[in-house]
Amino acid sequence: MSLSTMLVQMGDGMLKSISIFIWTLVLSLPLGLIVSFGRMSKNRILRGIVTFYISVMRGTPLMLQLLVVYFGPYYLFQANIGAYRYTAIIFGFVVNYAAYFAEIFRSGIQSMPKGQYEAADVLGYSRSQAFMKIILPQVMKRILPPVTNETITLVKDTSLAYALAYSEMFSIAKQIAAAQTTFTPLIVAAVFYYIFNYVVAGIMSYIEKKLSYYR
Amino acid sequence: MKKKVFAVALSLIMVLALCTACGNSSSSGSSSGSSDSSAASDGGKSVADMTTFTVGFDAEYPPFGYKDDNGDYTGFDLELAQAVCDLEGWKLVKNPIDWDSKDMELNSGSIDCIWNGFTINGRENDYTWSVPYCDNSQVVVVPAGSDIKKLSDLKGKVVGVQTASAAYDVLTNKDQQKDLGDTFAQLQQFGDYNTAFTELQAGSIDALAIDVGVANYQIKQRGDGFVKLDEALNSEQYGVGFKKGNTALRDEINKDLKKLKEDGTVDKLAQKYDIADMICL
Repeated sequence: MSLSTMLVQMGDGMLKSISIFIWTLVLSLPLGLIVSFGRMSKNRILRGIVTFYISVMRGTPLMLQLLVVYFGPYYLFQANIGAYRYTAIIFGFVVNYAAYFAEIFRSGIQSMPKGQYEAADVLGYSRSQAFMKIILPQVMKRILPPVTNETITLVKDTSLAYALAYSEMFSIAKQIAAAQTTFTPLIVAAVFYYIFNYVVAGIMSYIEKKLSYYR
Repeated sequence: MKKKVFAVALSLIMVLALCTACGNSSSSGSSSGSSDSSAASDGGKSVADMTTFTVGFDAEYPPFGYKDDNGDYTGFDLELAQAVCDLEGWKLVKNPIDWDSKDMELNSGSIDCIWNGFTINGRENDYTWSVPYCDNSQVVVVPAGSDIKKLSDLKGKVVGVQTASAAYDVLTNKDQQKDLGDTFAQLQQFGDYNTAFTELQAGSIDALAIDVGVANYQIKQRGDGFVKLDEALNSEQYGVGFKKGNTALRDEINKDLKKLKEDGTVDKLAQKYDIADMICL
């Protein structure tokens, strides 16, 4: 097999990896914000539930969570899960990453000095106005570095979808490696992931620079 | 000012994404609804209503199922499954699976059968089986020039097997070769044969217990670096595995296999994949 056909096939897998990446990011960031509100809620029951959810998501391997999400409906309800593979992958990734993002959001929100809320109150801002217009934009700036960390980890974690036999890039690399009895596809995969992450890190640092307007 | 707009826009995107989040959760609800239609591929429904035939296979298992040079899944078993589908007018869906999860995939109905150099022996009661179509044996592969010449030389050596493979079952079943397996220093399990052969080459394992068809393919691809021991661990047969109780589909496939044997398709495919001496239909 020539290198170019290998690249074409792995490029195909790359698209699937990218689609997992984008969907996870787009869904888990807002979900993470909501979860962080629950984590900081004054309602003790809600806070307890959310804290437990975060501790489970962070305390068990993502690969295991993916298997549970995919095969769970069959074992619990005898449901047919034939058409459910991709949804299960996205769902598994989103609930896992939302837990991590929630803690990042919480660290950002709680790092804002109380004086800002008081000043906003004096100026006649409502609580929600103060949060949306004053607090959240600052939080965004503060949490960018840890969010970048998680985002880069996510790129690499997409390879875990191979546990559900989804043919993203890593699965395809392994399959080509098996048929051609060589390790070359795995090296190509490493280069693909590295380029992907290089681009992601570049975009994130561009956003970070754009937002650092008071420095 | 411009920068403030940018920050606001970023927050806006997040809020918008929130809406997509809601939108998507409802669409995932509908997709679970649409899976009702594919519930037709479960063992319960009648064979006459079938339009697709979903085969689960390990895509890292040449020559029975693998990715060819064009990136399509192919192999002896998949081409045979295609021939069956041509007879029945079904559409063949090739669904690569993670071999460790094969039972979950089959029981949950995401595949109709496991058709991929699937050893019957030792699993007779776990699946509903088609007629055996291929004679197989488990053999031991060692690097060329190894001092291991026969099975008893394996004593104290590190031997590799694929996880959940027939070779593993043979070496751990006391009715078969457990006595031999117990003399090994270690029985090392691998997910795929590519890793296993590389470890064999690198010397971190001494021998590899493997299906003879796969061994022949690997040795042919990799050149002279490996030899197969003359003594085999056992002899066994390949069949198509269906969910336990799904005899209707099994009977249909058996009938088709017989037809394909009679019209010569099976032998032609076997020659193409170099396993003609193994066919036992």
